[in-house]
Amino acid sequence: MKSTKFSELSQEQVDRKWWEIGDFFRRNSLWMLMYCTGCCAIELPPAMTSAYDMERLGMGPMATPRQADILLVSGYLSLKTLRRLIYTYEQMSEPKYVVGLGSCTINGGIYHDSHAVINQLDQYVPVDVYVAGCMPNTEAVMNGFVDLMDAIKHKTANGWKKYRDNYDWYRQNQIASLGEVEVHDEFHE
Amino acid sequence: MMNSTNNALEVITLVESKYNVVKTEHISKYQVAFEVIREDIHSMLNFLKNSGWKQLSYLSAIDWPEEDKMELVYIVFNWDKGVHIQIRSKIDRENPEMDSILPIFPGCKYYEREAHEFFGIVFHGNPDSMKQLILEGWDDIPPLRKDFDPRAYSEAHFPQREYTETFIELNQQESKQEKRAARQAHIDEVRKGGKK
Amino acid sequence: MQELKLFLGPQHPGMHGNASVHMFVEGDIIKRSYLLPGMLHRGFEKGMERHTWLNNIGLIPRVCVVEPDINEMCFAQGVETLLGIEVPERAHWIRMIILELARLSIHMMAYGGIGGPTGLYTLMYHAHADRNDILNIFEKITGHRVYHMYIVPGGVRKDLPVGIEKDIHQFLDSLESRYAEYRDLGIDNPTVRARTVDTIMLPESVVWELGVTGIGMRSAVGKEYDVRKVMPYARYDQVEFTVPTNTYSDANNRIDCKLQEILQSISIIRQCLAKMPEGPVRVPLGRGQSMRWTVPKGYAYSVVESSRGEFGYFMVSNGGTHPYRVGVRGASYPQGLLGIEKYLPGTRIDDAALWVDTMGVCSPEIDR
Repeated sequence: MKSTKFSELSQEQVDRKWWEIGDFFRRNSLWMLMYCTGCCAIELPPAMTSAYDMERLGMGPMATPRQADILLVSGYLSLKTLRRLIYTYEQMSEPKYVVGLGSCTINGGIYHDSHAVINQLDQYVPVDVYVAGCMPNTEAVMNGFVDLMDAIKHKTANGWKKYRDNYDWYRQNQIASLGEVEVHDEFHE
Repeated sequence: MMNSTNNALEVITLVESKYNVVKTEHISKYQVAFEVIREDIHSMLNFLKNSGWKQLSYLSAIDWPEEDKMELVYIVFNWDKGVHIQIRSKIDRENPEMDSILPIFPGCKYYEREAHEFFGIVFHGNPDSMKQLILEGWDDIPPLRKDFDPRAYSEAHFPQREYTETFIELNQQESKQEKRAARQAHIDEVRKGGKK
Repeated sequence: MQELKLFLGPQHPGMHGNASVHMFVEGDIIKRSYLLPGMLHRGFEKGMERHTWLNNIGLIPRVCVVEPDINEMCFAQGVETLLGIEVPERAHWIRMIILELARLSIHMMAYGGIGGPTGLYTLMYHAHADRNDILNIFEKITGHRVYHMYIVPGGVRKDLPVGIEKDIHQFLDSLESRYAEYRDLGIDNPTVRARTVDTIMLPESVVWELGVTGIGMRSAVGKEYDVRKVMPYARYDQVEFTVPTNTYSDANNRIDCKLQEILQSISIIRQCLAKMPEGPVRVPLGRGQSMRWTVPKGYAYSVVESSRGEFGYFMVSNGGTHPYRVGVRGASYPQGLLGIEKYLPGTRIDDAALWVDTMGVCSPEIDR
C-alpha cells in the first residue's frame, strides 16, 4: 500500500484522522458523572464495584462535570432535577455523551401520567444510548455502555453536536416545560 | 411483650372521659382513631404528649370535595404502650386554616409545610410553612386536591413520545434463517478444504 | 470571617441519593444548613389514588429505592387491616425472610456507604459485593433484583423455589464468617474511628424533639424501641432476637448498632427457615374480576420497622376500587429535614455526609 504523505492531506482529512485517534482513546476511558438522578442509580454500585467491575471497560466515576464524558440519566426526571441536569450538562466539556437508563427516560414509564415527571428526555437534551427496563439489571447497564463505545467508534454518538446546532429548539422545549431553566432557591439569592 | 389490646381500650376510656369525641374507632389492637372537633386538637395533643405519646408520627390531610371539607390527620405514638392514636378533624375546604402545633411537637414543622404545599392548608404560627418545599415553580392548584388531574397537567406540559404503527419493523429485518444457512454453508466449505 | 455558601449534592459522590444539603460555612464550621428535597418527587400519593388496589402493587416498591420490600409490607398490611383478612401462616414466615434479607441488603449498603465520606473505598467494594449476593437470591426467589413486587395483599405472590434454603444458608454462613473482618475494616479501623467517635451527637432530648426513630433513637435512648418488638407484625413475636441499643449516640455507636443488627437478622432468617410450616401462601382478596375488587370504608395506619425507623402508610378507603388517599410516612423525615436544619450547624463540613449516612437519610421517601 502506498503511504500517504502528511502534506498531501487536506486540513479536513487531518482533522478527521485526529478525531479518530481521539475517539479511540475516548471510548476506552469513559468517565461518567456520578449524578444519581433516579432509582436506576441503585444498580450502579454493583456495576462499579467488584461484582461487575466497570473498570475493566475503562470506565470510572468522576465527581465533577467538567472532567466527565458521560452524563448518566438514571431513571425518571422530575422538573426540579431537570433544571439541575441541564445546568450540569451545559457545564460538561465537549465531546459529551448522554445515556438514558430505564423506561422513564424513554416514554415516562410507570410515571407517564405524573404531574412532576417528564415523559421524554430527548426533547430536552440529546440522548445517545437508551437502556430499557424498569429497572434495567446490571448486565443491561453494562451492555448499554458497550453500545455507546460502538456508537463512538462509528461516529454516531454525536448528540453534543446536535445540541450545539439545534440549541434554540432544545432551549424552547426546556422553557415550554419548565417555565424557567434558571434555578431559584434560598441558596442562590 | 406488652398487652396491647388492653392498652388500646385504656386509651379509649382515658380520652373519652376528658373530651367530647365525635366518633371513636378501634381499628386494631395497636391502633385507635378519634374524630374530634377542631378546637379540641391542641389541648388533646398536649394531653396525650404529657401522657406518654411523645412522638408525632404523621401529619397530613385528606380532601373530601363532596362534603366540601378538608380532613386533618395527626398520628401520635407511644413507644412504651405500643398504640398509635389517630386524631382527625374536618375543616372548611374553601378556606382551610389551622393553628400550627409547633409549640407542642416541634417535629411537625416540615409536615405542615408539606401539607400546605399539597393541599393549600394555611398553618398559622409556622413561620416557614408558606415556602415551597418539594415542588419548584408550581403554577397550578395544590396537586393532592381531588380536582387536580395529573394526566391533563402532564399532557399539557410535557411532550409525549408518539409511536407510529410501524414502529417495530420486524419484517424489514434480515432473516436470521438465511444468515444461519449462509454461515453453515461457509463452515461446510471450509471443512471440505474450499471445494464445493 | 466571611460566610461562604457550599453545596453537598445533588451531584456529589458523598451524597446518598438525589438531594442537596445547602450549607453556609465560616471556616470549616457549618453556620446554617438545610436540606433541599423534592428532586425525586414523582407524585406517588396522587398516582396511588389513580390505580386500583391491585395495580398499586407495581407502584409501591418504587417509593423507597433502596428498601422496596418495606413498602410492599406496609401496603399489604394496611389493605389486610382494612379488609380484616388473615394471611396464611406460611406467608408470614416467607415475608419475614424477605424483610430480613432486605434489611441485610440495606445495612450492607449503608455500611459500605461509610466508605464514601471517610475515604475508605475498600469497605465499599467488599460490602457491595456481598450485597450483590443478596440481590441474586432475590432474583431466584422473585424474579427481580431490586423491585420484587413479591409481598402482595393476602400473602406472597408465589411460594419459595425448591432448594432456595441451601442458597440462603450458604450466603448467611459466608456473611457471618466475614463479620469480624467487616468490623476490623470499618468501625474498629483507627482511621474510621478518628472520624466517627464523638462526632454528630444525638442526645435523647433531641430524639424526642425531632421524632427520630430507628437506630438513631435506640442508640440514644437505650431501650428496645423497635416496631418489631413493641407491636410485632408478621411472626416477629415467635422468633428470638434482641435489638441492639446504646445510650451514647455518636456516629460510631450508630454504625455499631447497625452491624449488630446484621447478626440479629442472620439469626432471624435461620429461625424462620427452621420454623416455617408448609401450606398455602396466598388468599384472594375478593371474588370475581381482580380489577373490580373493593375494599371497605375505613382508615388504617400500618407500620413496619425499616432500617431507618418507623415506616408507615396511612391509608383511606371510601369503599371503592381505588384507594382514596395513601399517605407515606418516610422514616427519614425528621432527621433528614428538621435534623439537618437544627442540629447540623456547629459541626464540620465533612461531617454532613456522615450525618446523611449514619442517620439514614433516604431522599426518595422524603420526596415521594
